[in-house]
This record gives sequence, C-alpha cells and structure tokens, in this order.
Amino acid sequence: MTQGSKGLAKAKEVYEDRSRRAKELKAEGRKIIGYPCIYVPLEMMTALDLVPYRIYGDMREPITEADRGLQTAFCAIMRSCLDLGLKGKYDFLDGFVAAHSCDPQEKAVRVWASLIEHPYTHFLDVPGTLQAGSWEYFKGQLTALKKTLESFTGKIITQTRLREAIEAHNLQRALVRELYDLRKPDPPLISGAETLQVIKALTSIPVEEGNELLRQVITEVKKRKNGPQKKPARLLVWGNTMDDIAHVETIEGDEANIVMDDHCGGSRAYRTDVELTEDLLDGLTDYYLVKLIPPRTFRVAVLGETKKDWAADLESRFGYIGEYIKGWDVNGVIMQLVRYCDPHGFEQPAIKDYFDSLGIPNTYLEHDYSEGALAPLRTRVQGFLEVIGPKA
Amino acid sequence: MYFAGVDIGSTMTKIVVMDGAGNICSRIVGPTGPEHRRLANEVLTQALEQANLSFGQIDYVVATGYGRVNVPFADRQITELTCHARGVASLFPTVRTAIDIGGQDAKGLKIKDGKLLDFVMNDKCAAGTGRFLEVLADTLGLELDDLGGISLESTKKVPISSTCTIFAQQEVIARISEGLPLEDIVAGLHNALAGRVARMVQRLRVEPDVVLTGGVAKNIGVVKAMKENLGYKILVPPDPLLTGAIGAAILGKEITSKAMAEGVPIERKERHLEEVTFFK
Ligand code: SF4
Repeated sequence: MTQGSKGLAKAKEVYEDRSRRAKELKAEGRKIIGYPCIYVPLEMMTALDLVPYRIYGDMREPITEADRGLQTAFCAIMRSCLDLGLKGKYDFLDGFVAAHSCDPQEKAVRVWASLIEHPYTHFLDVPGTLQAGSWEYFKGQLTALKKTLESFTGKIITQTRLREAIEAHNLQRALVRELYDLRKPDPPLISGAETLQVIKALTSIPVEEGNELLRQVITEVKKRKNGPQKKPARLLVWGNTMDDIAHVETIEGDEANIVMDDHCGGSRAYRTDVELTEDLLDGLTDYYLVKLIPPRTFRVAVLGETKKDWAADLESRFGYIGEYIKGWDVNGVIMQLVRYCDPHGFEQPAIKDYFDSLGIPNTYLEHDYSEGALAPLRTRVQGFLEVIGPKA
Repeated sequence: MYFAGVDIGSTMTKIVVMDGAGNICSRIVGPTGPEHRRLANEVLTQALEQANLSFGQIDYVVATGYGRVNVPFADRQITELTCHARGVASLFPTVRTAIDIGGQDAKGLKIKDGKLLDFVMNDKCAAGTGRFLEVLADTLGLELDDLGGISLESTKKVPISSTCTIFAQQEVIARISEGLPLEDIVAGLHNALAGRVARMVQRLRVEPDVVLTGGVAKNIGVVKAMKENLGYKILVPPDPLLTGAIGAAILGKEITSKAMAEGVPIERKERHLEEVTFFK
C-alpha cells in the first residue's frame, strides 16, 4: 500500500490490488481464510486472529479452467471463483469456509475442495427455511465451525475475544450504514462506483483496518467538493453480487446515480447488527439465520402461517427495501442478475410485484458475467432511464 | 425545418430525413459493415442528396441503434427502444406491443398512448434473430428472401426442437437426409424462431395491437408463425426496417418543437458531417 494514502484513494488502491495486504499479513505469520459469501460468520475468524478474505469472481477473466468442474449453465459468479482458484489466484489462502447459501455455491466449493488442496476447509450448512428446529440446527452448525476453527489454529475462541470481534464487526456495519447515509443528499456525496470500491476493500483487509478506512472515507466524503454530479435519476440496484466498478459505472453513466443497493456485494452484510447475547452464539445464530435477508431463505409473514396474503407477505419480505426507496429518495429500481442464479431468479417476480405495488418504476436486466456483457447492458439501462424520464 | 433519424443497427444502417410536417423526404437502407459504421456521414450525405438538401438545412439529428455512439454529428443519442416505440406508434397509433427482430437482436416493446412503458431484449444469442434464418437459409441452399414464400406451401411443419442456431443447423441436416419436404422444414424453422421470440415477449404480457418490425418482418412465414404463437393478428409496416429511424427523426422534431414552444434555445452540438475517428 502506498505510504500515507488515505480514505477513498486507499480504498481504490486496495480494490485494485486486493490480495496485497493479505499477502503482507501472511508473510507476517497471519493465516488467511477465504469465504465466498456473506453467510460466513467472520466474527469467529477475527476472534482467532485469522484474516477473512472474500473470494470474488472476476468478470474480466474469461472462464476456461472451471469447465473441468462445473457445467456452463451454472452460476457464473461461482464458476468464475472456481476458475480463479484453479488458476492459482487464491493460492495464498490457508483455507476457506463456505456456507450453503445456495446449491450452486455448495457444489462449487465442494468441487473446489476436491481439486485444490488447502490446510483447512469447512462447510457450514444453513437451513433454507425458518421453522421450528432451524434455529437449534443452525446453532449446532456454528458450534461445529467453532470447533474446527479452534483445532485448525490450536487456540480457543474465548467469550471475551468473540465479544470483541462481534463489536468490531458491528462497528463496521454501523460505519457502512453511516457511509450509505451520505448517499441520501442530491447529488449523493459518494458515487455507486466509489461505494463498491470501499465495500470490496473492506472484504479484503482485517476488520480493524477496515474500520479505520471507513472512518477516513466518511470524514473525507463529508467535506469533499468534488463528489458526484447531480443527475436525472436516483437508482436503487437489487440483485446478486456486483463486484466490478465498470458494472456500476455502466449503470450510472451520465444520467444516473446509484444511491442505494440491495445485493451481496453491497449493503446486505451491513444492514443490521449481531446482538450481544449472553451466549454469544445465540446472537450469531440469530444474525446469520434470521437477520440476513438474501432470497436464499424462504420467509413467510408469520412463522408457521400458510394462509396466503400476498401483499402482507411481500411487505414482510421486502419492506426494508421500501424504506430504502423512501429514505434515499429513489425514482427507479434496476433488478440486475448475473445469469443462472436460481435463488434470486425465483425471488425476482415477487420483488417486481412489490415494486409495482409501490408504484416505483423498475426493470429487470439479466446478463452474463463478462466485461463484454456491459455494452448491451448500457442500452437497456438507457432505455429504462428514457422510460422513467428525469426525476421530478 | 428538417430532421434526420440515423439508426445504425448491427447489420443494417437506416436513415430517414423528415420535414416539419412529418413527411419523409428521403430514406436509405444499407448494410452497416465495419466501414459503414465509420462512414455514417457518407450514408447521410446520400440521404441528403436524395432529398436535395444540405447538411446545414437539417435542424436536428438523432442517432439510435447499436452504433448510435458512432455518429459524431448527431445532436442526441436515444436508444433504439425509445425510437422504435415512437416510430411504430406514429404508424400504428393503437399499438400496444411492438416486436422488432433485427439481424442480431430481438426486442419486445410495451407501448401505451405512443409511449414506451417496458421492454425486453435478446442481444446475446443468435437464435431468435435474423441471423438464425440467415445461417439456416445458407444450410438449405436457399435465398433468405425466398424463405417466406416457400414456407407458405407447407402442409405440415417439421418440429425443430432446438432453438439454438448451431443445433438447429444439425437438426435441419438430419431432416433433409430423412427426405422431409423443404417447405415443411422451412415452416418449422420459422416456428422455432417465432416461438423463441414470443416466449421472450410474453414476459411483457402481450396485448393487441401487435406490430412486427425489423428485417425479419419482411418474411411472411415468420409473420404467420408469430400470429400462431401469440394468438393475435400481426401488423407489419410497409417499410419494417425504418421504424427506428422514423422514430428518431420524430423525436428530433419533438425536441425541437418543445424547445421552440418554451422559447429556450435548442440544445445542439457544434457539428460537422464527419466520420467517426476512433478507428484511426
Ligand atoms: S445466490 Fe446466486 S449468485 Fe449467489 S452463489 Fe448462489 S446462484 Fe450464485
């Protein structure tokens, strides 16, 4: 990292050379643990001084090697992750923890584990529904993860260390929310592309360093004069993972600011906090099973209720996005999905109904996970912006 | 006053010059090709000659289509989605669904009161576009323009199970070797194409009137198959390739009239009829 670079400049540096800090820390003797999705409880790793490092795909790298393990009509993000793994781009990892966020992810990481040797791997099962028994089962899963992490490191996760780790990660969540609040003014004080850069940086460095970075970014952004321009549209993007700023810039262009997001590479992991319960595993169970809201978990308005009240159901599942739309003064929603994502694909018609019920203009864009897919995406986004017209 | 709509599609370039009353003074349709993409200025020059006009007499130029960014002399770029919707609605004011099947893409537009409400687009896979028919006409040794007429002779269309261009090609070869009648195979291909596009457009909840545009709309066999797949009568404009360019010219005219009515200067670029330079 360049000496002295701070705030947004530092976030950009980390974004552009993600693994650099992890490799430095590894050289100092720290162990780096990869994780592909937001269902992995980073708090436990932090409590053991492990460095969690998010595994992303790369839409700029053509997928060639992954064909050995995964079929082509398959979540392209996971295919790309495996491809990079097989090309040695994640060789510095000491291990990884994956979660059953969806079937493609489970399959991809099992193939990964069978083709790439790591000293440590753990797979966390996450129930797909919230019903009697889910909670206890998932707490058991967290207990099992704790054990394998402890035996890998030869250390015990003490209550004190776990509490400190949860506090550090909660602080990160609060700081990210504070950063997102800076997108409420018109024009927003920070662009969608810059925000993505920050989030991706956070998932590449230890939590304390991330929190320091966030403090610097927030201070800088609050008083900057060179922020984004006012543009005709204020958009919210919903979908699976956005992980490349070119993708965000394709949507923003000259006509739109992305002011809020709900996807796995954005606000989702920071929306709420882990409660500091007496048995800390209870708070973690509750957070990762109940409070995280990606579409992979089936939810009904009232637990156990089977009566169908579509409007109430939509409100209970997506009400928080309605709050985003109001709070961030959004005038258009783009639902964007990288192809072959079943969890989000199944959710999309329902969430569209929800946006329609709010009367908020929306469009659905499905695309490939490649740089070349961005130009045609531009036409669709522009077409949508022409349909909604400038913000009143 | 005069307005130009320049629609640079992936396969064809279309230009319409329109006067203040909405009459079309000239129209040009020619292949886009790598050279033409650079030379949109030359195509416009031809259109101007046809209309007996000079570039200075054109009050507003709107560029649209896949290559809209390659028109340095355009005052504004508007997507083909909006331009097609406007163009189709000017020809068929009661249109609610427009389907445009071009050389390398297909789109469905939902329109109400002349305005675009929603759209779907396939710009990825050749199946469901004109390219599908081009490849298969070639496989069958037929001229693209003859496919429509031939298919009308069919009494029993051959089901083509795959809508992937490459697999359809293999399937067609297998059917030929089985000795099935050519017209039935061609009718089967039209049905495969129309079915694929219809399924995409159904996402918009198709309502009549339905208008079909783009080069493929010239194929009577596809129009018929589209009708069978959607269950609605299909309207086709006399010049189905031109709707985007017509829409672009109309939008240019509307932008100009609005600015004049509001008494604000027309936002226009300092422009010259020049070729795009990024290839150099
Ligand atoms: S949720 Fe979707 S994008 Fe994420 S891993 Fe699963 S299939 Fe891929």
